[in-house]
Amino acid sequence: MRCPNCGNENIPGEELCRACGTDLAGLDLPEAQEDFRGKLLDERVGDLPLSPLVKADPTTTVADAIRLMRANDYGGVLVCDGTWIVGIVTERDIVVKIAKNNLDPTTVNLFEIMTKEIYSLREEDPPAYAISLISEEGFRHIPIVRGDRPLGFISLKTMVKYIHDEVLGTG
Amino acid sequence: MARPIEEILEKVKIREIRLPDVRPASPSTPLSEIYGHFEAQGRCAVVICEGDTPVGIFTERDVLNRVILERVDPSTPISELMTPNPKSVRADECLACALRSMVKEGHRHMCLLDTNDRPVGLISARDILVFIAEHYPKAVLNLPPDLHQRMLRCEGG
Repeated sequence: MRCPNCGNENIPGEELCRACGTDLAGLDLPEAQEDFRGKLLDERVGDLPLSPLVKADPTTTVADAIRLMRANDYGGVLVCDGTWIVGIVTERDIVVKIAKNNLDPTTVNLFEIMTKEIYSLREEDPPAYAISLISEEGFRHIPIVRGDRPLGFISLKTMVKYIHDEVLGTG
Repeated sequence: MARPIEEILEKVKIREIRLPDVRPASPSTPLSEIYGHFEAQGRCAVVICEGDTPVGIFTERDVLNRVILERVDPSTPISELMTPNPKSVRADECLACALRSMVKEGHRHMCLLDTNDRPVGLISARDILVFIAEHYPKAVLNLPPDLHQRMLRCEGG
């Protein structure tokens, strides 16, 4: 690892330059070039192709929600009370809470299994925020909102496609 | 010297990145046990192997699309529900190859094979996204816990 101050070649992982004492912390992180990083911070998630807004009332049965998800070929449903977002139900919730326990999906309502603490992003937020939520928090479906109004979802698949197109090209 | 991310993706082999250990299931495994596989491995897909040959893959999306509304008996062998002939990629191929294949075919998971075509694991779209995120620590990983947090005043002000 070359010291940016004096040019001395230090062993990888060294915290201070052996020759001049310059702080080297963080310099050996595998940082990639700036161009794509700029896009990650400057573009808006609202400009990416959002997945359709699949939404349902809290009293909708899980069975009806699954029909909705199948019809839209999407693995999540936003639970809304009127215009208010009150929760989210994903295929993971359905597998863990319904299928694993062999429950009848026609007898369970969405409010019984929904995740109430929702992370959403504003349409003007950068793609870096979505990648952070997916990679750090483990989310697969992130609602995108304009003010309080949901616009659609950003999914793991959308972000992987975005990275593919930006980095490897669409060809 | 920082390299472009496309060069990194073309150079790094799939076997060089951290991937969780994956235990395949046999075709006779009942559906009820597959949920345990999802949980134990923290994955949303399971590779089904007959000996050393991957014969299928079963994902959480399959549960949504083929199991719940149909009220499938939990003792049903997974071979009756899996997607046969899973898409696979060699572990000594580059990450860009896996990424291209996933986007082109629309898969989120691919079976990993060694040079003798024996299954050695599973790679998901999330694995690739996490790898890329790690190359942008300042932009992606060093964000505040609340992404919309704003400082109301200067520190010490």
